[in-house]
Amino acid sequence: MSAPAVQFDPSSARFGSSRTQKRLEDDRLLAGNGLYSDDRNLPNQAWMVVVRSPYAHARTASVNADAARTATGVLAVWTSGDLSADGVGHIPIPPLFKRADGSPMAAPLRTLLADGTALYVGHPVAAIVAQTQVQAQDAAELLEIDYEELPCVIDPRKAILPGAPQVSAQAAGNISAEQRYGDAAAVTAAFAQAAHVTRLELHNQRLIATALEPRCALAQFEAGRWTLYTQTQQPTGTRDALAAVFNTPPQQFRVVVGDIGGGFGMKTGLYPEDALACYAARKLGRPVKWRADRSEEFLATHMGRDQHFKAELALDPKGRILALRMEGLANFGSVPVGSSAIIPLVLGPKVQTTVYHVPVIDYRVRGALTHTMATGAYRGAGRPEGNYLMERLIEKAAHEMKIDSVELRRRNLIQPGQFPYRTHLGETYDAGEFERMLDGALAAADWNGFAARREEAKRRGKLRGRGLAVYIEWTGALPTETVDIRVDADGTVTVFSGTQAMGQGLETSYVQLITEVLQIPAGKVKIVQGDTDQANGTGSVGSRSAFVGGSAIVAAGRETIARGTELAAQALESAATDIEYLNGRFRIAGTDRSIGLAELAARQAGRQIRVTATETPSSPSWPNGAQVCELEIDPETGEIELVNVTSFDDIGRIINHMIVEGQIHGGIAQGVGQALYEQAIYDAESGQLLTGSLMDYCVPRADQFPQMATHFDESVPCRTNLLGVKGCGEIGTIGAVPAVVHAVLDALSPYGVAHIEMPITAEKVWRIVAG
Amino acid sequence: MNAVVEARRNVRVTLRVNGEQTEVLFAPYKTLLEVLREEMNLTGTKHGCELGECGACAVLLDGVPVLSCLVLAIECEGRSIETVEGLARGSELHPLQAAFADLGGTQCGYCTPGILMTAKALLDKEPDPGRERIREAISGNLCRCTGYLQIYESIEEGARRMREEAK
Ligand code: FES
Ligand code: FES
Repeated sequence: MSAPAVQFDPSSARFGSSRTQKRLEDDRLLAGNGLYSDDRNLPNQAWMVVVRSPYAHARTASVNADAARTATGVLAVWTSGDLSADGVGHIPIPPLFKRADGSPMAAPLRTLLADGTALYVGHPVAAIVAQTQVQAQDAAELLEIDYEELPCVIDPRKAILPGAPQVSAQAAGNISAEQRYGDAAAVTAAFAQAAHVTRLELHNQRLIATALEPRCALAQFEAGRWTLYTQTQQPTGTRDALAAVFNTPPQQFRVVVGDIGGGFGMKTGLYPEDALACYAARKLGRPVKWRADRSEEFLATHMGRDQHFKAELALDPKGRILALRMEGLANFGSVPVGSSAIIPLVLGPKVQTTVYHVPVIDYRVRGALTHTMATGAYRGAGRPEGNYLMERLIEKAAHEMKIDSVELRRRNLIQPGQFPYRTHLGETYDAGEFERMLDGALAAADWNGFAARREEAKRRGKLRGRGLAVYIEWTGALPTETVDIRVDADGTVTVFSGTQAMGQGLETSYVQLITEVLQIPAGKVKIVQGDTDQANGTGSVGSRSAFVGGSAIVAAGRETIARGTELAAQALESAATDIEYLNGRFRIAGTDRSIGLAELAARQAGRQIRVTATETPSSPSWPNGAQVCELEIDPETGEIELVNVTSFDDIGRIINHMIVEGQIHGGIAQGVGQALYEQAIYDAESGQLLTGSLMDYCVPRADQFPQMATHFDESVPCRTNLLGVKGCGEIGTIGAVPAVVHAVLDALSPYGVAHIEMPITAEKVWRIVAG
Repeated sequence: MNAVVEARRNVRVTLRVNGEQTEVLFAPYKTLLEVLREEMNLTGTKHGCELGECGACAVLLDGVPVLSCLVLAIECEGRSIETVEGLARGSELHPLQAAFADLGGTQCGYCTPGILMTAKALLDKEPDPGRERIREAISGNLCRCTGYLQIYESIEEGARRMREEAK
């Protein structure tokens, strides 16, 4: 884990300073000139609708498509048999996991259309294409599908009981995969020594990402090659998955992505509808468009969380943690997506002991299949679940042991002298100043002045509470990115990156980086993303874009200077060692003989300079911090009013303050949503999604939102990437969930509640207050 | 001919969008949202639900914010329609848009047109609204990216700039 030779310092930037650079995306987005997937249309395009199962579990005994096929404007009706007859395969998921007996992870294949049995409400059963969308919708009404309804199971705790309805013949007992960590014997020994054991069972409820832009796909097949216009955080991954589905080389596909109306992890991987549009475009020889309505977004885009935990924390008489024993049960849904298993089985465990010194852990986590939509990546992806559990345990332990909860945290925080710190889960934290973040948040939130505010609230008849969370995040997944740079004769520097902007201002941050390295004005730089014919990479997931993608951009910028130096030496007939680079020009040191980047490009074959650089940060990073939430409860109604959320984070160096603040705010908002408002609920009997609209699934609205104060400590830059950045996209969510829940519990302390399951709605609070 | 087919015969209607009169041909059941986006290629107005639940499609009808997914285009004949495309003055952003750019009021930008139009309607009527009024006014506009704080601040700053301009 050596530090990169020269670390780039984004905060010293001279062109786009981290405090003043405005977003370059905004002129376009604010004027209504963004180009989102549904803003594109192609001449002669046909429309596809997807017919979905109304049952959670049903055999599609027969399909009569005669009436639909002959309806006005209809071009085709397909079910799964048609696809398999044409050799269309399924969407692959990485074969990373196993069951307890060593056999591979078991789950139904993710075919584009249900293969004889529908496994969740919303499971695609048929695709209809017509001249217009309305015609396709009308034809869908005429499709006669004879369903034989089968028993379903929704709750993973029930799914693993003997006699539960089975989702897949391969997955006996509905267990799809299992993973174990730690040392059970050592933990048993540690528990035998414990002065106190804190026990907790909780559910990290199912959430729906609800990006405001519904999914949309527009596919074209021309000259033996597909172009798919869609919205995905991973254009290259989408392309490669399409190639697998159609059993062709990836080069047969071009995936193009414009502006994306929010991703949050939900727009990762390939969705069946994208592939169906490609199938239709080839089959019909004309462009085919599909767009989800909001109800389809609710039913059939992958959801987040839905993990049940049982945990026990062993402590010594002073409250020092001796061991953690826990059991996780994740609901994968019925047809897992690429990220279903990795989140509970790997990403959550990575951070499970969070910022505390936990000497030994015994952790078993299983993934169960149920007749629900798959769960997968959603902001935080495993880390909010892990951190929430740990924070709830420590808070509960503090109450039970009657130790101040801040003090109990201090006693257990990993201290600066312990780095590099290897967790019992096998991860190595490179650096951290956890107590400084804690102190920073407490001071910024005036933690010690709380008593007066509580008194004042009491006089107004309100119950005021304060909540604290200390947390860690893991970033830098899939740590390699390749960036190409092209310098043209007019001086334009085009940067090609396989990461993908989805609202997080990447274009701006990247331009800041490249203008700083090349010392050229921002107006000369173009960033190209979202076109697999031009740029490839892992895409934007897990807060990796600045960390990995940004580092690769700096590396490519430096490579441009190195290559340019050689070319300038030839052009100026000098030794490369005598050439220095400043403000876009190469100069023979100590002379006035120089050549500009543009002029140098003009002299090259093809009138351009091209370089490629691949950068692989040497290890992941560990953003961390502390959050404090204050809120008030109206005991008459149970209504919770958030007063403020204060965060104090170490996310390494900051490229653009306004963007980073926005990322933290948005992250906090989604954490608050989980803590207080949001839950995807399926009816336990019928498997119907009861929260299938924005009226039933409560995305936080403007009038529910508090003041937020974000603070940053940039003094602990990450040493394993060129920028010193750590990633900021998800940390707000990770902190807000426990901070808000703790604030509610604190406000309700007169009522002696030890735990409330999220979302903590006004009704739940009212029931407690009303006794 | 049944009623459905009958209803799908196109109508020719003159719409006044962003101050310009245009004759548009569309099926009478089309919403204003659909006509703006699909018939007039004004794709700046967004949709997030087409059920009146998200606010992404807000435009101004005679200066009042409406959810264009709930309004039939045929009912808009002769009325003034304002969309986000009409906000900027040439290449110069409207002060409200400029404030959003300066204060981080937009991230993915998808909720932004609806919020800009809703906020403009508020500020046209109430040049100096407090935070509470702003919260109320945009409480029907979902934003999943920002947590709203930078949006409030942008609207407050936009209001200040608009008052400056009006002096
Ligand atoms: S699209 Fe009109 S309110 Fe959502
Ligand atoms: S900026 Fe993305 S929804 Fe508001």
